[in-house]
Amino acid sequence: MIYNAQLIKQGAEAKVYLAPFCQRQAIIKERFTKAYRHPTLDKKLTSRRVVQEARCLSRCQRARIDTPTVYMVDTENYLIYMEYIEGCSVREYLVTPEGQTEAAQTKVAQDIGRALGLMHNIDVVHGDLTTSNLLMRNETGGSVVLIDFGLSYVSQLIEDKAVDLYVLERAFSSTHPNTEVMFEQILKAYGESGKASKQILKKLEDVRMRGRKRSMLG
Amino acid sequence: MESYPIDSLPTSGDIHMACFTAVKNAPDLKEKLQNQDKSLTFAMVESNLIMDVFQLLVAATKAAHDNKTGKLATQTVSSEIIYNLSPSKNIAESLKRFGIKEDTTSLIAVKIGGNPDEIMEEMSRTVSGNLVSFSKLDQERDMTKLRQYYKIDPKVTEDKEILNWIIGAIAMKNVQ
Repeated sequence: MIYNAQLIKQGAEAKVYLAPFCQRQAIIKERFTKAYRHPTLDKKLTSRRVVQEARCLSRCQRARIDTPTVYMVDTENYLIYMEYIEGCSVREYLVTPEGQTEAAQTKVAQDIGRALGLMHNIDVVHGDLTTSNLLMRNETGGSVVLIDFGLSYVSQLIEDKAVDLYVLERAFSSTHPNTEVMFEQILKAYGESGKASKQILKKLEDVRMRGRKRSMLG
Repeated sequence: MESYPIDSLPTSGDIHMACFTAVKNAPDLKEKLQNQDKSLTFAMVESNLIMDVFQLLVAATKAAHDNKTGKLATQTVSSEIIYNLSPSKNIAESLKRFGIKEDTTSLIAVKIGGNPDEIMEEMSRTVSGNLVSFSKLDQERDMTKLRQYYKIDPKVTEDKEILNWIIGAIAMKNVQ
């Protein structure tokens, strides 16, 4: 039960509320149970995913990557209380008149690339990189914040990181036409801040050829 | 004294807290704590490890939740509040660091639920010191200890980021 909450988003895995928490506005992400799964298994899976998401968020925060601060984790009710970030998504920003300018796009691209490079440095793979999951923080004049670590996991594999970038590339090309230049800039900034970025970018070429799923034939 | 509702658990009552400076009877209070004196019904936190009221509210809210689900790691809700403030899972060490010491001169009394007037009366009767506003907290802060206990990255310098770091450490303690 969440009191005084306002539902702001609902996906397939979770509901996102805006609600007061300790005198602040907070985001509460509630993973709901799936009726089609065995209750015991469902409980285990759901609470494990809540913990995993919170861990990835915290891991990023400790590496000084701008992500929402986790306020409280309630594994009983599958809730994560976290910082509410005032701002708009990169997706929304890119369609505003300001977001259409070259200078603004370059700045955002560099921010995104840098953040992703740092995130992959600490072996966090986001798993769902889209322009809706990148916010721009109002109070800092629009610096990029990574959100929604619901599908995140820790992996050192170059493959996983390359697929992460590929997912973002596809998200870019499908939601924002004519942003190839911008994605190039993201990759450039990524290459400058990432540790193993050279290998990852090379892997990205392979992934582009075959798609997100690895072929299991032969 | 200030009182704040627990939005996520309205049935547990408000969080009441009062800040005292120039406390003269810390050794007495400490002894009462050690003897588990039943007359002490509120938590006493060392002021110099508190960065912001939000930090106390998060720790107290978590204690209220764990109390409701019967998952307290320590004996009472009061000690749980102090334990929650610490990023460490070592109970004895946490209580020693964040609770009051013999030489404590400024402390924050915290209690969940109850009648505010009665609580205020009880707190000021028990603690002999000056009741001050929470805006005085900044002057008490011991940054060196805060950084050490919460293992804050030396590159983190802005107050806001330090607070976020602290809150993150408190929140992640039971899920790490």
